[in-house]
Amino acid sequence: MIEGWNLVIGIEIHAQVNSKSKLFSSSPTDFGSKPNSQVSLIDAAMPGMLPVINKFCIEQAVKSGIGLNAKINKKSIFDRKNYFYQDLPQGYQISQYKDPIVGEGFVEIETENGQKKIGVERLHLEQDAGKSLHDQDPNFTFVDLNRSGIALMEIVSKPDMSSPEEAVEYVRKVRSILRYLGTCDGNMEQGSIRADVNVSVNKPGNELGTRCEIKNLNSFKFIHAAIVYEAKRQIKLIEQGESVNQETRLFNTQSGETRSMRSKEDAHDYRYFPDPDLLPLTLDDDWIKGLQESIPELPDKIKERFIKEYSLSSYDANIIVSDKATSEYFEDVVKNRNPKLVTTWVTGELFSILNKKNLIIEDSPITSKQLGELVDNIENGKISNRQAKEVLEEMCESGKGALEIIDEKGLSQISDENEIESLVDNVLNSNPENVKKYKNGKDKLFGFFVGEAMKLSKGKANPKIVNDLIKKKLSQ
Amino acid sequence: MEFDKKSLLKLGKLARISISDDKLNNLSKDLNSILEFVDQLKEIKTDQVDPTSNSLNQKLEVRDDKVDTKNSAEDILENAPEKEMDFFVVPKVIE
Repeated sequence: MIEGWNLVIGIEIHAQVNSKSKLFSSSPTDFGSKPNSQVSLIDAAMPGMLPVINKFCIEQAVKSGIGLNAKINKKSIFDRKNYFYQDLPQGYQISQYKDPIVGEGFVEIETENGQKKIGVERLHLEQDAGKSLHDQDPNFTFVDLNRSGIALMEIVSKPDMSSPEEAVEYVRKVRSILRYLGTCDGNMEQGSIRADVNVSVNKPGNELGTRCEIKNLNSFKFIHAAIVYEAKRQIKLIEQGESVNQETRLFNTQSGETRSMRSKEDAHDYRYFPDPDLLPLTLDDDWIKGLQESIPELPDKIKERFIKEYSLSSYDANIIVSDKATSEYFEDVVKNRNPKLVTTWVTGELFSILNKKNLIIEDSPITSKQLGELVDNIENGKISNRQAKEVLEEMCESGKGALEIIDEKGLSQISDENEIESLVDNVLNSNPENVKKYKNGKDKLFGFFVGEAMKLSKGKANPKIVNDLIKKKLSQ
Repeated sequence: MEFDKKSLLKLGKLARISISDDKLNNLSKDLNSILEFVDQLKEIKTDQVDPTSNSLNQKLEVRDDKVDTKNSAEDILENAPEKEMDFFVVPKVIE
């Protein structure tokens, strides 16, 4: 990124488990509910309450581990991570420290220089904290415990990324895998995925630099911007002969800067120890095997298949499989149709409509069946590509089907050769001068004839047939 | 294990409890006597035993992912010293 400097990046992703109830209590996990309406006595850490673990959350963690090509630990332990904060009623977070449920794995990402393997150090289960609002009152902080106790999977990468682009690709890939697995909904706006990014810089050949951790980034854009800012800040410090302090920093989304939150000296001393309320979690082989067999086809595999089955380019395949809903939509449309045409219409026209309307594909105004019908009419020559764009827009506005619109607008393309031949003859006969010039070498006039013939047909003539016929007639 | 004043002040800081100088001596004496008592456990050899093992051969109890809302916001806020608009209210904390 910056000439003469190496960047070393490691990322901790906090992904909310897609469960209905919390990790250790039966309170609901719905987003945006009335403050403190989803808090049990366990979540509020009333004396004498005992945590009972949610089986579904264990399953999702193991599934995610399998999706990250990781080792599943048959025995894992829950620990107390002690710190004092107003949105943590227990005074400790139940987490996993030395013995996480999932061990080492990896994900593959696309980079400028091809595929790159990014190591995963571990995945463990832990409780989320409550939420503090600092901006409601000048003198007080408001606390909402609805989020307190919701299950999170913390996924820790190895420091294998060396650019902000790779960091973003890695988070994208992990998010995509979790969404395919259905273990996390991946909704970044609602905070279902948050990233803490560790950044350090060093000169090639030198030892690693001191790292800083930037907390709580909840969009790809912020991850990128925070890394760029932080790397530049550290390089500037070193070039000025100063040193980087190991510290935790916060990213200001307004200014695009990071600022110190706490230094190493003030770092928490978490005093981890095994939670005496919870026995070790043991998993048996058959149960793990059963989960392995239930894992759906994941993006890397689907991509491989799309390239083989539909001859997609690696680039197109990547775009389509990065999102589960998109790849399902694509497969619905492509069945028994021309893959190249379908790819163009899905990643080109449909995406541009969705972007314009700021919609995700799940909310597409055009169903896969409707788009298929449109593609059919292009494939069988009834309408041209240009007409199809018009039809698609109309489909979007009116919700009507492609055929209905084609009939209504009298759009259907003329593909009848005799009919087109008479059009072409008409054009050539009424422009004898230009025909003579063309034959004397003025090649550019070819476009003129095509244009005239199309105009005469009110844009309905099949352009390919028009082209072929004019070429044929003029070479006679 | 000896609990010196420095460790005591650090513990206080981690727990966000301020400890005044005149209380330091007594507190450190109290804590040390507790630790001395608990230290008796060290007489048992445990280096071959897992930290979380138990003699009952029990497994971790699990529950199904079912929602059960037991309290309303009013219930949970009932003991809160300060509350407003269904939030707990605490002194301003900025980190």
